[in-house]
Amino acid sequence: MKIKNIIKNRAAAKNKIASRRYTRSKFGNFLNFFLLAAAGLFTMLPLIYAVCTSFKPLDELLIFPPRFFVKRPTLGNYLALPDLMASLKVPLSRYLFNSLMITAITVFIYIMVAAMAAFVLAKATFKGRNFLFWVVQFALMFNAYTLSVPQYLIFSKLHLIDTYWIYILPYMASTLGVFLLKQYIEGYIPNALLEAAKIDGASHYRIFWSVVMPVIKPAWLTLMLFSFRDVWSSVPNGTIFTEQLKTLPQIVSQITAGGTARAGSAMAVTVIMMIPPIIIYLISQSNVVEAMSSAGIKE
Amino acid sequence: MKGVKKLRGIEQLKNHYGHMFTLPWLIGIIIFFIIPLIQSVWYSFAKISVVENGIETKFIGIDNYKQILEADPNYTKWLSSGITSFFYTLPLIILVSMVLAMLLNQKFVGRLFFRALYFLPVIIASGVVMTLIFQTTSSDMGSMGVSDTYTSNMFSVNDIIGWLQVDGKVAEYVILVINKIFDLVWQSGIQTVLFLAGLQSIPSSLYEASKVEGATKWEEFWFITFPMLSQVTLLVAVFTMVEIMTNTRSTIISNIYKMMSSGVYDETSAMIWFYFLVGGGLMALVLFLYNRFLMKRWE
Repeated sequence: MKIKNIIKNRAAAKNKIASRRYTRSKFGNFLNFFLLAAAGLFTMLPLIYAVCTSFKPLDELLIFPPRFFVKRPTLGNYLALPDLMASLKVPLSRYLFNSLMITAITVFIYIMVAAMAAFVLAKATFKGRNFLFWVVQFALMFNAYTLSVPQYLIFSKLHLIDTYWIYILPYMASTLGVFLLKQYIEGYIPNALLEAAKIDGASHYRIFWSVVMPVIKPAWLTLMLFSFRDVWSSVPNGTIFTEQLKTLPQIVSQITAGGTARAGSAMAVTVIMMIPPIIIYLISQSNVVEAMSSAGIKE
Repeated sequence: MKGVKKLRGIEQLKNHYGHMFTLPWLIGIIIFFIIPLIQSVWYSFAKISVVENGIETKFIGIDNYKQILEADPNYTKWLSSGITSFFYTLPLIILVSMVLAMLLNQKFVGRLFFRALYFLPVIIASGVVMTLIFQTTSSDMGSMGVSDTYTSNMFSVNDIIGWLQVDGKVAEYVILVINKIFDLVWQSGIQTVLFLAGLQSIPSSLYEASKVEGATKWEEFWFITFPMLSQVTLLVAVFTMVEIMTNTRSTIISNIYKMMSSGVYDETSAMIWFYFLVGGGLMALVLFLYNRFLMKRWE
């Protein structure tokens, strides 16, 4: 009797689940899609606007109030870029080279420094560890601009002003990187793994390079994406004067300074500037989103 | 025997290597963060005058703080607007990103596309690109009674009137609401990704079990998803609070920057420090409440 009841209940529950799932999959899916599409549209609006503006002819740029969509698209803004570039003192290739080199070196140094510090902070016990991590958390609250004046004084004391170092060195003081990587290492690298490597005779350097780094690959790829984005588009304020040392974003600022007449060209450059980060994202995409959860050993 | 000995030595060895691994980061953080930080504290208690080679500081006690809190009517206004926005933005961002992540976590056609879509602002919106996208055209939209924010750059009141056939007041309101939603979705990018990763790490066996037991979707969320996400939620909360605090587009920070670039360093240092004290207090309060009332329930 009892068993029969239970079976009956189970069957009823199953039916209930089945019916609920059915309704959800029809109406729910539509609602899902609708919500996502609506929110997605909001996300895309500024980008669409930027792309539209970059194709606007001059008279449409000057319309007040500005129109969202372009009526008569033209390639003029893009075609004007070589002329604008030709008026620069240094060939465009130099800026491009600077940008690429600085970004590559900075991102590499940033990730290595942050990962090494995070590894120690997460797994070693030494005096002052908690204090250091407290410093990291505290530093997270500070915007780079806040400390710009004292930082400038230090740069000038170290004779870093107007050198490549000005782009690279400040990234050694990473806080977000150390914070994220430390959390990730604590979550995904069990002590047993490190001990096993230790017993197998791996040195600390070896453990870091062949055990820790591969396991936290999704984390540092994510970090790579963020730091690439930041370095790629950052403009050092008042610290670079030599034309040969400037990067692409500074050229963009110079072009924008030309006023409304150049708004179209500025947007064209902006659209071009967006492309490299998107490429980096597409390369690391599967790792960044999907593998954030699947990597690591589950105990 | 040797293995055992090594195992016991791990901690000691790590002590030794610990300092070496953190060295580059330590140098970076001391030179580019801690020293400027201390200097900035010093500035907030000093009177700064620009002399021929650099600046001169003279200790004046808490006069700067007195000045900004008592004599300056703007600062308290900025501060209160900052605190208000902190309290409504934080829950909204967490809610929006959690809902988006849960929608994105379901299986449907084109979810990879949508994931990329929501991550896009995070990738490209930084530095020059960000400023350019958001400050393209004229800022005299303010004369039309609409605040100078993103959408007012893209749409005009007239556009909205034309599309929706409504009168001016309603159109202004529509723009305001669009602005807010916009802001939220754009600020929720990283949070959505973090939640998504958290959702994917929840073992599906839990959901299967709850399905067999006949739990409703609501119960499923409240007793499985939400508790399992508690760590991620904490991370997201910290991250969001830091972002809100340091958002350069917020009233208080942008005004302080304006003052700073006009050469006022002593008062602005005091402004920033007071703001961080208040912000830090708010963060501590939120974390305390979170631990006290939410985390406790699941222990």
